[in-house]
Amino acid sequence: MSREAYTVPTTAPNLGRDQSFSSEGPAVNYLCGDCNSKVALKKGDPIRCKECGHRVLYKERTKRMVQFEAR
Amino acid sequence: MAPSALSPTSTTWSHEFDTVRREKLFRNPPTDHSPYPLLQAAVAPHIESFNAVFEKDGLLAQGIKDIGTQTFLDGDDRLGPAGKNKLEIKIKDFYLEKSMLPASNKFSTKNREIFPAECRERHVTYRGKFSVRCEYRVNGGDPKEFVRELGQLPLMLKSNKCYLENASPAKLVQWKEESEELGGYFVVNGIEKLIRLLIVNRRNFPMAIERPSFQGRGPAYSKYGILMRSVRPDQTSQSNVLHYLNDGGVTFRFSWRKAEYLVPVMMVMKALVETNDREIFEGIVGSAGSKGSENTFLTDRVELLLRTFKNYGLYSKSQARGYLGERFRVVMGVPDTMSNYEVGGEFLRKIVLPHLGNVNVTDAQNNDKFRMLIFMTRKLYALVAGDCAVDNPDAVQNQEILLGGFLYGMIIKERLEDFIGTNLKLVLRDWIRKNPENNFTSQTFAKDFPAKIFGRTNENIGGALEYFMSTGNLVSPTGLDLQQVSGFTVVAEKINFLRFISHFRMVHRGSFFAQLKTTTVRKLLPESWGFLCPVHTPDGSPCGLLNHLSHKCKILTHACDASAIPKLVAELGVVSTGSSSTEESVVIQLDGRVLGFCTPKQALRIADTLRFWKVEGSHNVPKELEIGYVPASQGGSYPGIYIASAPSRMIRPVKYLPLDSEDMVGPMEQAFMSIAVTEPEIISGESTHVEFDPTNILSILANMTPFSDFNQSPRNMYQCQMGKQSMGTPGTAIRYRTDNKTYRLQTGQTPIVRAPLHNDYGFDNFPNGMNAVVAVISYTGYDMDDAMIINKSAHERGFGHGTIYKVKKIDLEEGGNKSRSSKNIKKLFGFAPGGLIKAEWKEAIDEDGLPRIGRRLGEGSLICAWHTVSSDASGKLVNRDGITHFEKYKETEECFIEEVRVIGNENGVEPAQAISVKFRVPRSPVIGDKFSSRHGQKGVCSQKWPSIDMPFSESGIQPDVIINPHAFPSRMTIGMFVESLAGKAGALHGLAQDSTPFRFDEENTAGNYFGHQLMKAGYNYHGNEPMYSGITGEELHADIYIGVVYYQRLRHMVNDKYQVRTTGPVTQLTGQPIKGRKKGGGIRVGEMERDSLLAHGTAFLLQDRLLNCSDYSKSWICKDCGTFLSVQPTVSAFAPKKKGTGVVRCRRCAVRAEAWSGKGEIWEDGEGQRWVGGENTTIVAVPGVLKYLDVELAAMGIKLKYNVGP
Repeated sequence: MSREAYTVPTTAPNLGRDQSFSSEGPAVNYLCGDCNSKVALKKGDPIRCKECGHRVLYKERTKRMVQFEAR
Repeated sequence: MAPSALSPTSTTWSHEFDTVRREKLFRNPPTDHSPYPLLQAAVAPHIESFNAVFEKDGLLAQGIKDIGTQTFLDGDDRLGPAGKNKLEIKIKDFYLEKSMLPASNKFSTKNREIFPAECRERHVTYRGKFSVRCEYRVNGGDPKEFVRELGQLPLMLKSNKCYLENASPAKLVQWKEESEELGGYFVVNGIEKLIRLLIVNRRNFPMAIERPSFQGRGPAYSKYGILMRSVRPDQTSQSNVLHYLNDGGVTFRFSWRKAEYLVPVMMVMKALVETNDREIFEGIVGSAGSKGSENTFLTDRVELLLRTFKNYGLYSKSQARGYLGERFRVVMGVPDTMSNYEVGGEFLRKIVLPHLGNVNVTDAQNNDKFRMLIFMTRKLYALVAGDCAVDNPDAVQNQEILLGGFLYGMIIKERLEDFIGTNLKLVLRDWIRKNPENNFTSQTFAKDFPAKIFGRTNENIGGALEYFMSTGNLVSPTGLDLQQVSGFTVVAEKINFLRFISHFRMVHRGSFFAQLKTTTVRKLLPESWGFLCPVHTPDGSPCGLLNHLSHKCKILTHACDASAIPKLVAELGVVSTGSSSTEESVVIQLDGRVLGFCTPKQALRIADTLRFWKVEGSHNVPKELEIGYVPASQGGSYPGIYIASAPSRMIRPVKYLPLDSEDMVGPMEQAFMSIAVTEPEIISGESTHVEFDPTNILSILANMTPFSDFNQSPRNMYQCQMGKQSMGTPGTAIRYRTDNKTYRLQTGQTPIVRAPLHNDYGFDNFPNGMNAVVAVISYTGYDMDDAMIINKSAHERGFGHGTIYKVKKIDLEEGGNKSRSSKNIKKLFGFAPGGLIKAEWKEAIDEDGLPRIGRRLGEGSLICAWHTVSSDASGKLVNRDGITHFEKYKETEECFIEEVRVIGNENGVEPAQAISVKFRVPRSPVIGDKFSSRHGQKGVCSQKWPSIDMPFSESGIQPDVIINPHAFPSRMTIGMFVESLAGKAGALHGLAQDSTPFRFDEENTAGNYFGHQLMKAGYNYHGNEPMYSGITGEELHADIYIGVVYYQRLRHMVNDKYQVRTTGPVTQLTGQPIKGRKKGGGIRVGEMERDSLLAHGTAFLLQDRLLNCSDYSKSWICKDCGTFLSVQPTVSAFAPKKKGTGVVRCRRCAVRAEAWSGKGEIWEDGEGQRWVGGENTTIVAVPGVLKYLDVELAAMGIKLKYNVGP
């Protein structure tokens, strides 16, 4: 977490998707494909795990009730 | 319970169920090694061949040696070499890294490795950085080195460049792989691809060929030739052919960079060594006084061969080399500094029998080449004289396997050669032209060369290999001595595990032969015994071309050590000169090198001695050595001992009788050996070997067919096909796979009747079907014609329940900017902020614009939402239009969202641009789904019959499946009866039944064995039982054969196949219905269907099909001119604009309305012209295409005239 707080861009500033945290919109939780930690991302955030930097995130199962007619 | 270091995981299996043992293996995957070594061995040729390329002193290292040093000169191309600076460059070394994150990713600190599972999930290629170190010198000065990166090469899984190499099952599971991950394939764009094994001609063996097409090469050319596929140490090959000319001459043919060249063989011989005509004459014929010299057929021709060469006036080695060098200077592409003599040497090194020396060729090696050419010439003359038979290139005897890894290495080598050869040459020339003031010695050059100049060559070797892997197309300037340019790779489909494993055992004859009209190449030849499975080949177009290796057949990937052989052979009495008469002396060769000659009697003794030593393991004779002893015969194969130690050969284990131990036998030697199939068949004094097991000749899949020796053979072939199509268990790591489509059987079981190999290969980890109680009875009539009735209660208990998983990748930047700069982001997932967001959208899609997991989708449901975006002044991405776009689910079938993956970029910067959604389609069996037993007995479910109406036996057993007795008489699948019997007995006693073929005979019959088991359980010996009708309760008049058979559910399901249409889309051009199930098209009533309707006299139906339901259209026609083309609607100022007047007139029959001249009504066309007449028009019903035909013909100037009836 601490590492992710703010890293000084080492290379030429990548005209930042990175820092352009478009703060609009709510954060949605994802699961990291490597360490299985929860990753909260907002719209426009770069896709990577905050803990380990993994690049595949799984969407969590919906909290809503899922009910089908069993036939 | 975890296996400790003290007790290594056991790898021996029997045919038993071993339920607890398997359960333990599942719960605690072993940390030492796989419990199924046979599975690993099945793919070993793929992995080992890949390893051989990149290992120390591997094939690529050999290839780099073969490429050697390239020399370039500066200055004007047109001027001579004098006064120019010389640049020499060579590749010193190469590096292939494992799959890693790029350095630009600063976010992953812990794990920088990219594992294969991640590549599958992200739909990318599993690849590693490839780079070479080059060394260059200018004018022979100090060498300088630099490293160039050549892109990223796709890596083979479980190879020495993969993280999974030697990983224990526990580790593999941790890395999201199958616990028994096999490797041997590549992951390209998330798809698993493998390089097919290909059959090629046997290497380093002079093969006698008779090909009528040879006659077309020139006026005197005959159909005879000797073909030698000479393979260099780096596994690239160069084919050399000797052609016989009708006048007795011999020419040497080769192809170089796809062009063919012909050289008199004498010239090549003279260039190789310092020789004279007498030496050549005696080399071919035999020394004076030998039996061979009495052969006037031969002496006449050799004399002529020598005489005609006199015309060239080349006598010494230097003359011949100089001559060759002069001719081939341009072809070889050598620098100007080389003398003609040196070019000639280069020609001999690279082209003439390179397997006998291709780098720093010594005089001894050139002498070997000379002796081989002499031998080839001798064999050619023997072939022409009819003393020796042609070698069949379609027999396994004269074939070997081109391994995937070797091909991969060959492509890399060729690319490297091009990279520092032709590629660099062009770039250097360009540089010189642009910088005429500079030369190779200047400062600018030293600065520019490693970076700038190389930067302009085509360096992306990784990309080229990725293209090769993903398309299977070979882009090559030389063609790699192969007969095809495409179809080298296939997708390793994981429909079920049998399908998957079969891919790795598959051997293809080459797509060139697929187009061949003759079927000789497809024949099953006795030579294939034990190497290629006689059962496991598809029927249809690839039949006999696509074979599968027998399960015990291995392919060598490394040469065995044969260094002791020449000495041993010499000690056994081989002399250096021989005669052309094979009664007198026969040749002994080692890997295409003539070791010497001996008498036929001696040859037999030498071959036998070597074999004994080989099996014994003494005298440094390796067990993998192939001692191809060809005995002398009357006009048979050319005799001799052809010893082979090279890789790519197929070998298989058999028992050597004199020592009672294992011998590895190759296809070349097998043809002339006596190998008994079973112990009783051993003939004393003749048989030297015996098979370990007759089932060794079958492939893995063919071995899974129970009691296959009881079946009619084609049925076993069908089962091999259907086993691969059944809905089974593709694997246990389905969670981490993103195949486009996967099938899964929810209720798989282990078969009661199975061979021990079933456990050896661990197929219980991947169940492929269900045990079903099967009654063979004609009941209700719904089991006619290969239909089967399923018990409705069995269905409700889950019989055959399956699922299809489909993965769709939704990529927002599809096709567009591949460069992936974060500036170019044009779209983002989610609802457009500030725009209208409907409640129903929110219901379907989560706040992030992605689907909710577990949601049900129907046709047209929304999958995800996205909106366009562009960066504002501060670099923020903002949406400007407020419009939300959606991806929709297009199929009609209902499904559920199983998983959603958000795919990030390698660099770790970049918002979500791609997601991968997995859909789950439940597929419980419905009427019309296909099932099959393991005996090629497929059938379609015709009815789910209520349990109460099913027949029942005295013990109250109801069948799960009913099949019709008529399925048996013509198909003769007795194996299915035996399986039924064995399954029933096994189920009653709780036994796993061993179903290995060839275990029963006439004395001990299978029926008796299992019949007695049944009797012990209190059942009828024959497997028949009295049964009662479920409907009336009456006893059926006959006893019914009922037992337990393993049933597979095949992936062909009606839900993917049904096609119905009443009305629907039509093609614009003709108005006829479109084709294609996906688009809602119709099924064509074709020529034959039409004939059938005609024959039945159903004219009305015919009209309905061909006209009314097709392109029926009403059209105006002019009765007078009889054409559609001249009619046109009239226009009136008073009529409503849209509707028109409704009156149509013929323009052609009309005349201009001048003043009041004509009679009749005046009408107006669209341009305001006024006309009179043309009233004789009417409406007819015609097919739409007819009018189209009329227009097309009119465009060609042909008029159609229709006579319109009353």
